[in-house]
Amino acid sequence: MLVPRRLKHRKQHHPKRTGAAKGGTTIAFGDYGIQALEPAYVTNRQIESARIAMTRYMKRGGKVWINIYPDRPITKKPAETRMGSGKGSPEWWVANVKPGRMMFEISGVAEPVAREAMRLAIHKLPMKCRFVAREGSEV
Amino acid sequence: MADEIRLSAQTRNEFGKGAARRIRRASMIPAVVYGHGEAPRHVTLPGHATMLAVKRENAVLTIDVEGEEVLALVKDVQREHRRREIEHVDLVLVRHGEKVEVEVAVHVEGEAAPETVVTVDHQTLLVEVDALRIPESVTVSVEGAEPGTQVLASQVALPDGATLVTDPEALVVNVSAARTAEDLDADLAEAESELGIERDESDADAEAGAAPATSDES
Repeated sequence: MLVPRRLKHRKQHHPKRTGAAKGGTTIAFGDYGIQALEPAYVTNRQIESARIAMTRYMKRGGKVWINIYPDRPITKKPAETRMGSGKGSPEWWVANVKPGRMMFEISGVAEPVAREAMRLAIHKLPMKCRFVAREGSEV
Repeated sequence: MADEIRLSAQTRNEFGKGAARRIRRASMIPAVVYGHGEAPRHVTLPGHATMLAVKRENAVLTIDVEGEEVLALVKDVQREHRRREIEHVDLVLVRHGEKVEVEVAVHVEGEAAPETVVTVDHQTLLVEVDALRIPESVTVSVEGAEPGTQVLASQVALPDGATLVTDPEALVVNVSAARTAEDLDADLAEAESELGIERDESDADAEAGAAPATSDES
């Protein structure tokens, strides 16, 4: 799973989820991609689940790129704890994804295979997404 | 060059986001025409016709700006990335016989040897070419390519009159060996155990009817 190797501050404020993606909105490496249509925190487990789903379906053909990185820690207070006594402990790592962001890309497979692999991957993600093809390709 | 594409444009006198939004609401697209040391001309293009015209990469358009016809190359198209609507178009003036530098898409054809993965490292190549003879794409054949085959930019066949600007040593297409089934299974099993995913018989049965094992890109 993707986890930062070292970090400057253990506990951060919650990242803003407003607005749209400023960059990373086009297919840069592969032929097909998954584009976010809503804002969400995507955890490292969800990213890994999506990668596994795509790789399992494509088997040995194709290549997968992951364009997001879960670099923000999210904290949680233990259950049945009174308020106060400081911020909870880091529990998850998330990527702050905004609408328009191209999260995954694949290449080296035919369009129907890519479409199905990405459909399976989209089911692992917490927001609405869509399948997109590189501009100029016949999809 | 494909068939000539003609668009009629009107000069734009009001600027800013409010004016641009009014133009877009009227199914038009704001655009700018510049180049050859002339002052930029801000114009309005018809929405649907422009959308069809810029579908082709590096399209050269004949634009009728209130009676004056100019040749212009589509330099950039800004889109709203969620709705994919065209927000603005940059057009650069060109002349007959003028050479321009454009990014031309790399198209891979053919089927590589079994048990291989074909990766395109450079999706476009920068070439210098006559403005009216811009190719839609350059084709790289990987028919029967064995693992380890690498196609460099200098090895890509360009159309007559085109000169490569991209670094000739740049890797364009790489054919590598597909991972072995055991390696892939071991990797996925490790990842799944880390996530706590348990697989049962029905998953394995479903997988048996899944995608083909090797690349069939053409």
